[in-house]
Amino acid sequence: MNISGEQLVEAAKYLAAGLCMGLGAIGPAIGEGIAAGHALDGMARQPEMEAVLLRTMIIGQAITESTGIYSLVVALMLLFVV
Amino acid sequence: MLETLGKKLILHLQLGPVRISFDLVTVLVALAVTGFLALGAWWLRRGLPRDPEAPLSRRAAFLITVLELAETQLLGGFPKRLARDLLPLILTLFLFVLFCNWVTVLPIPYIVSPTQNLNVTFSLALLVYTMSHYYGARERGLAAHLRSYLEPYPFLLPMNLIGDFGRTLSHAFRLFGNILGGAILITIMPVKFAPLVILANVWFGLFVGAIQALVFALLASAYIRIAVE
Repeated sequence: MNISGEQLVEAAKYLAAGLCMGLGAIGPAIGEGIAAGHALDGMARQPEMEAVLLRTMIIGQAITESTGIYSLVVALMLLFVV
Repeated sequence: MLETLGKKLILHLQLGPVRISFDLVTVLVALAVTGFLALGAWWLRRGLPRDPEAPLSRRAAFLITVLELAETQLLGGFPKRLARDLLPLILTLFLFVLFCNWVTVLPIPYIVSPTQNLNVTFSLALLVYTMSHYYGARERGLAAHLRSYLEPYPFLLPMNLIGDFGRTLSHAFRLFGNILGGAILITIMPVKFAPLVILANVWFGLFVGAIQALVFALLASAYIRIAVE
């Protein structure tokens, strides 16, 4: 079986995109889970604060998510641009 | 399926030495959403009674409820006067992004959400960036606003500038990445698991679209608040 250089690059592209997205999703997932868990703690303790906690949690999670979005952008660039 | 993802209908305009390119579908959908929102606003505004003593019509009651909800939810931490000032901007951003995210659910061939184009999200993020500087300079004075970049220590100025830049960049990329990722999944899914198409559209189109629109508007108001305080 002969594997040309182009096929090798193609394979490396898909492998890299998969690794990039998979590894890049770990951090934001853990971080957002922690944020949601603590927000739930707070809501259970003080249900009257629910609206404020929910809003702050969503902002925090959105910022936590940036690194995941960066890895998504890099994965898309690997797939469609490189 | 995947081959059509990157394809776009581009219109090139040559204006002297400058060449401007338009993504036709994106421009048309964005214009349609703008027109829809303007029509809706005009229709709701027409429902308001001219006489302030008159009993509330249903449209007016709806409008008041929505505006009060938006003011408390999107602009909760602002002083009342500033919240009134910012409400049109933030609510327009929210509604525009929301309906741009939701158009993908419509059964129209070749329709794409304008927010899955980086140019659109980046211009929205730049708009928020500009407005945060405008409000920062207006509320605190230009000198105090510029001095805030030298805090807590003057040698941290590059860090503050990079932080500003990265904030705007991630503001644009967050919306773009979320919507584009959802759109790619919706495109791939019919090939493999046809029964899940409706579920995927509801999840990635409606739910994620609403959450991302809310996040975009909340972050816009948070950035302006950082500049104001």
